Amino acid sequence: MPFDLNFLARLLPALLEGAEVTVELAVLTIAICLVWGFVVALAQATRGPLGWLAGGYIQIVRNTPLLIQMYLVYFGFSMGGFGLSGFASGLLALCMQNGGYVAEIYRGGLQSVSPRQYEAGRALGMRRWTLYTTVVLPQVIARIIPPMTNQSISIIKDTSQVAAIAVMEIMKISEVWVETSANTYDVFLGAALIYLALTSAASLAGRLCERRFTFAQ
Amino acid sequence: MADISSDASSTAIDVRPLARRPMLEISGVSKSFGATQVLCDVSLSVAPGEVVVVIGPSGSGKTTLLRCINLLEDYEEGTITVDGAPIGYRRRGSERIRMSERDIAAARATIGMVFQSFNLFPHMTVLRNIAAAPVRVKGAPRETAEARARELLAMVGLSDKAAEHPARLSGGQQQRVAIARALAMDPKIMLFDEVTSALDPELVGEVLAAMQQLAQGGMTMVVVTHEMSFARDIADRIVFIDGGVIVEQGKPDEILFAPRTNRVRAFLKRYNDRYRI
Repeated sequence: MPFDLNFLARLLPALLEGAEVTVELAVLTIAICLVWGFVVALAQATRGPLGWLAGGYIQIVRNTPLLIQMYLVYFGFSMGGFGLSGFASGLLALCMQNGGYVAEIYRGGLQSVSPRQYEAGRALGMRRWTLYTTVVLPQVIARIIPPMTNQSISIIKDTSQVAAIAVMEIMKISEVWVETSANTYDVFLGAALIYLALTSAASLAGRLCERRFTFAQ
Repeated sequence: MADISSDASSTAIDVRPLARRPMLEISGVSKSFGATQVLCDVSLSVAPGEVVVVIGPSGSGKTTLLRCINLLEDYEEGTITVDGAPIGYRRRGSERIRMSERDIAAARATIGMVFQSFNLFPHMTVLRNIAAAPVRVKGAPRETAEARARELLAMVGLSDKAAEHPARLSGGQQQRVAIARALAMDPKIMLFDEVTSALDPELVGEVLAAMQQLAQGGMTMVVVTHEMSFARDIADRIVFIDGGVIVEQGKPDEILFAPRTNRVRAFLKRYNDRYRI
């Protein structure tokens, strides 16, 4: 029967164990993508082969399903003779795909800063590094927090797909419990609640960042 | 490199006595955008403390000339010096060598520029807008820079706005902050690029008053403007540019009331027809 509280109480510790792996995977993915996405965005802004390479990368990772990318990484590496763990393969695929999305968010943020802001900084004698750290990036950061929060939430939910390569996170543990208990509804309800708690925490963090960094435009 | 700051007896690049050395010297500057030549062999010398107002029709090259002075626009021929120090290009014999980005940035730090669209940094308070460059470019201590910023805010009559963000200010107030921001770098010369064109008419006066005060204080200024009566009041000399060349220059009354060329006469007539009430 649905909403069996006793069952949910027994399920909870197992799901929390899985949540630890989910959080680890999500936090690592977000942290790596914040850096990697920026590198890709800068590369894409250059003219010539590097720009095309970055643009091509974004097209490929955005336009193929994450699950397939995960399989290709997981089985590709083991076919190549140096197998990666499910966790590492999942992390790599998550970073590859979300890096493309995050790069696009950065691109939008960078484009939102008017060329006049660059001119004003240069006219004051600022060189590239000072110009970016003082004038450009603070404005970019303020503008990309809302889409970056969305992306983080999407990453948390996307981690559920690594269940397909046997990583014991929330989703995989849920599947195991479904098989052993046959209580499908309660297991997935419990899993949904845990995801909801994690994504709510991410939205809250996003709100706090917004409050800290945004300014009247 | 020789010290060119203020000592007339030093072995500066330009060894003329300080009083006679121009603060700004533009010689033979040409510039094209693609096939369109916007500046054609322009030469102009501005003495220390002199206020030169540049007028001319839209697209005449006056804004481009101003932007060449601090190298926001690159130019293909000629040289520009500020207080004897080259901006952008050095001469080595007949060769023209582009300066490094570091040297260009250092040169720009000695030139104040105020833009038509204010271009304040929206994420910073007014005080930080003014203090940011002295701290980040010159390495001034934050307290010193902020104390100076408050002085400058008082000078432009905005002491009570230090903690506001630019979006909360009127256009006239933003432009006065932009003037204070440029002054915070202690520039040798100030460039004004149509600084009142984006303002509501009733806000123009406060900005012009701040500029007038600056001119009276002895600042060397190059002002591109469409405000003819202001030009007459503030200018030591008016330069009329059309088609990328200086057509005529002289004292305000000469240019505005007794122009020698038909081009200036026609321009002033068009202007007067449009603005006659």
